Formats: sequence, structure tokens, C-alpha cells
Amino acid sequence: MSQYTPFEMIAYTGSRVLEDNKIVFVGTGLPIIASMHAQLTHAPGLGLIFEAGPLAPMLEMGMPLSVGDTRACRKACYLKGLSSVFELTQRGHADFAFIGGAQIDMYGNINSTYEGGNYIEALTRFPGSGGAGAMAANCEKTIAIMALEPRRFVNQCNFITSIGYGDGSSDYREKAGVMGSGPYRVITNEALFGFDPETHRMMLLEVIPGKTAEYIQNKVSFDLMISPDLKEMAEPTDKDLKLLREKCDPDGFFLARKVK
Amino acid sequence: MKQTETSSAIRNVSATEPEVLKKVAGAETPFKWWGPTPEEARKIMVNKPKSLHDKRTTIKEAVAKRVKDGMSLGIGGFVNTRPPVAIIHEIIRHGAKDLTLCFQSNSICPELLAGAMLLYPDHVSIKRVELAWWGYEVIGIAPLLRYLNSKGMILMDDYTNYGMSARFKAAAMGIEFIPTRDHGGSDMELTNRGIMVKSPFSGKNTYLVPACYPDLGILHVSAADMYGNCRIFGAHCTCPEIAMASTYTIVTAEQIISNENIRTYPNLTEIPYSAVDAVIEQRFGCHPGNSYGFHWFDMEHILMFRSASDEFRKTGKSDKLKKYYEEYIFGCETYDDFLSKLPYKTLKKLRDMDGGQPVILS
Repeated sequence: MSQYTPFEMIAYTGSRVLEDNKIVFVGTGLPIIASMHAQLTHAPGLGLIFEAGPLAPMLEMGMPLSVGDTRACRKACYLKGLSSVFELTQRGHADFAFIGGAQIDMYGNINSTYEGGNYIEALTRFPGSGGAGAMAANCEKTIAIMALEPRRFVNQCNFITSIGYGDGSSDYREKAGVMGSGPYRVITNEALFGFDPETHRMMLLEVIPGKTAEYIQNKVSFDLMISPDLKEMAEPTDKDLKLLREKCDPDGFFLARKVK
Repeated sequence: MKQTETSSAIRNVSATEPEVLKKVAGAETPFKWWGPTPEEARKIMVNKPKSLHDKRTTIKEAVAKRVKDGMSLGIGGFVNTRPPVAIIHEIIRHGAKDLTLCFQSNSICPELLAGAMLLYPDHVSIKRVELAWWGYEVIGIAPLLRYLNSKGMILMDDYTNYGMSARFKAAAMGIEFIPTRDHGGSDMELTNRGIMVKSPFSGKNTYLVPACYPDLGILHVSAADMYGNCRIFGAHCTCPEIAMASTYTIVTAEQIISNENIRTYPNLTEIPYSAVDAVIEQRFGCHPGNSYGFHWFDMEHILMFRSASDEFRKTGKSDKLKKYYEEYIFGCETYDDFLSKLPYKTLKKLRDMDGGQPVILS
């Protein structure tokens, strides 16, 4: 088995979670790489939405560097603007939201607004919701993608930018006025999480070979539920790594980064 | 604090302190329009001359005519896609204080204004920002946003990208607000100027966002005729909505095309002439951004400006940042002077990297 970087594992697992003949609404970076890999392998019929306007472009010029750029738009089936594609999600056209974030809590609520200080004077202001808040609200299922670091898997987000299951109550999302069914998977370099259908709490589904559930729990601030059917994560093959490195992110914008 | 009879259960999970909630944009009562009221915006539109007349001018004249202190500025494009940089340069040269910036996602435009505010506070300043996202995407976070926010120097009013787009769309429709299926159940429900209500039809919770009517909209498009009919190739972003939401709209275009060609393909007109007040042909008018069919990003130029900005944020040293403004903005009379400072080989490479996407111009 070849050596792979943490972000290559994330991208490969992201690809694995996606399904053929569905539509995925993708954010910048790793979600794009994962979706490209899925299209090149098990999901040739996967349609992509980028929020600046395109539906089902052909990514034959390489990885888009911005979700509105030429590469993201080229040879799309439908190409308008932000209003059009987000309205498609409200109407149920997007099966998956594929987003990142800085913090996530046990109910899959995600922060991408700020960390430290307060909302008005933040120690570390992030760019903000962008499309993520709307994608998490109205795509049918939300897939979150981030590195498994204790500072990210928190008891309480400083700010909830993208709605998950809120406080876990069964009617939280309905009271929020959103349409999607909510968090589905959280993809990290060392673990794949899902959510318990009853309590809406994050549940460990798969762990990287060689590590234990306890090891994963120690990297997460809240109590994890552990699947009774806990599995090992599949690892990328040489062919997968070649695709990721040569086709999906040849300049190493995302895959070459290090986990802190 | 924001008063609402109906809400989601966000308060059960929110970490936002009550003291902070007293100071957020959504706490402003009673609600005030930050630009014109819908009635004022309509009245100005009604009184505009509606003839097909030649609206070509220079960026300098258009900015001198329309840019005023205290105004709200709707910025077109999306992150690094067609940001109206040429107009931003001229606004910085002209000077504008206490601006309200309105956009969904942008990179270099608000960063350029933020840098000008930090270096020349008596000449340019931002009072508040209605936005969804401010950053450089693959390149990284926006250093000057982070700096300004950490010092509480600008009021931020956060929405989603759909929220901001829908707000412009509502203004383009001439209405006061629009229901969306997002923001509810997030902290934005507590902080922004939207409000959760019960649907008068089903009784279900529905989030309303106020329309966004900027005093001035600024855009860069693929092509326009001399009357202001605009054609956009690649992602439309929210440019049509912003043009139609704004009281006045200034457009730069990669190319001015004939009205005859506009009339040959009327379905390709995304912005009608009545929504545009000034048109300028400006090749590379969104550099260092990307313009589908014309040119790719200038990554090296973005990195240069961003690294000068990041040095200022981290060390407070402003030499490099100041040098950028002195050389590329204040050292230029026009945007063509700025473009003349870029090597021909760079511009050629950017044009080639876009891959010659097909666009209809004749």
C-alpha cells in the first residue's frame, strides 16, 4: 500500500461517500477534489453544482480554483447565477451539500464565521458563510469535510454558521424553516462519522487502519457514539493516488497541506 | 436585542453572548434602510431618461458623478470572478468615506477598500458590510478583513450567499423583503437584519430577509452595447440582480458590442439598458480576477497584494502595502496606466490560460 497524506485520505473518503447519478453542491477545495475523483471512478453520472452558477460542468481543464471560474463553468448543462442554483436546492435538486468549516459540534452544527473573542470583535474572523449556510439548510444531506483536530471537534461552536441538528431535538430543523434533512457524514483523515437517527448525535462509523475508537475519541471534545458495526476505513490504491495527484490537484493546493 | 415573536430553537445552542446581541446589525430598531427606501429607489428610476442614449463615459467621470460619502455600494462578481476592480481603483483615487459595502462573496474589491481605509482613513473608510463571504478562496483568508474585524472597526452583517443574492433579487423585484429557506437555526438568525415569521398560509416558520437596495452598483461584464444592455458569459454571479437593485449602476465591459448584435440575440441580454447609467469599455477591468472567455486569474498579482496585506496584519508594518497603493493606484491616472505596469507576457499568459472559451460578440 502506498503512502498517502491526510488530505489525500480525506479526498478519497469524500469520493467514496458520494453516489453515482446524484447531484452534489460543492464548496471550494477538498469537496471539488473528492467530487472529481468520484466522477473519474465510481460515479461518472454525478452532477456538480458550483454556487456562482453552473450545473453539471465538465472539469476537463483541471481543478477550479474558484467556484465561479472558467474551469467551474466550462461545458456546463445549465449556467446562470447564484440565485438559480440555490433555488434549485430549495426545490430539492441537490442530493448532497459538500462543505468545510472551522468547528463542528456533536449535532453537526458548523462554524465558519469566527473563533475567539466575539462576533463583533473576533480574534480570528473567517470569511463567513458563503454558500455553506444555505447548502447545509437545503441540500438534502450534508457532508462535512475537515481534518480531525481537537480544536475543530468542539462542545459548542463559537458561532453556528451552517445548521446541523441544532440542539438535537427532532423538530429543530423544521422550526428553523429549512428543507434539507441535515447532517449525513463527517469526513476526516482518520475517521468517518455519521449521525444516530434517534439522538442526532455524531457516531463513529469507520476508523483508519491501525487506530482505535479510543484514539479517535481523544481527538474529539464531545462524547462520540460508536457504531456497533465499526469498520476500518478503506485506503486509496495507487490508482486512486495517481488520479488525485495528477488529475484532481496537480498543483497540490489542498492535498499537500499538513494537519496541525 | 433583536425582537421577534417567532424564532427557531437557536437560543438553545447559540454561544453568542446577550451583550453582543445588543450591538449586532439586527438589533437596530426600528429597521432603517441603509440605502434608499424602495419608494425612493423607484422614484429615481421613474424620473430617469429612458431613451436609448449613448452612456459611454470614462471610469473617472462616472465615479466622480456617482460616488458620495456615506453611500451603500453594491459590488458585483463573485470572489475572484469578475470583481469590478477598475472601478474600485477609481473610487479609491476619488475618495469615499463611511461606505456600506454590499456583496455576496468577494476578495480583492473589499480588501482594496479596507487597505485604503487603514492607510488613508481620512480619504476612504468602510462603516459596515452586508455580506456572505470575504476571502481569497484557494489562496487563503482576507488579512485586512481579519485585521479590521479584530479591532471592531467595521460592523459586519452576515447572510448566506443565497441570502445576499435573494436580497438583491428582492430589490430588483421592487419589493421590501423575500422569504428564504436558510439562516434560520443558525446564529445569523440572531445577528442579521432578517426576521423569522410564521407563514400566513401554512403557519410554518419562514425566514424573511430585507431587500438590499444599494445607492450604487458596480459591475464588470463580458460585453455591453453603448446603451448599457449587458451580456455575461460564464457564471452570472448576482450581477443582473445587483444592476437592477441599485439606484445607479456603473458597468465596465471587456468589449463594447453593437446594438444590432444585442438585438440579434435578445435572449442573451442579462441586464437591460434601463438598469445601467454608465458604460465603459475596459479590457482586463476585473484583473487580477477571472473573466470567462477573456482571461484567467493573475495569481501572482493577488499573492503580491495579499502578502503585503498579511504583513500589515501581522506586524503593523505598512511599507509594502503603501508601496502597492502608491505604485498601482495613486501612481496611475487611469486603469489603463495600471495595466501598462503589467508585463505584456503576463496579460498574454492570462488570456491563454482561459482557454479561449466561446463567447458571442458579433
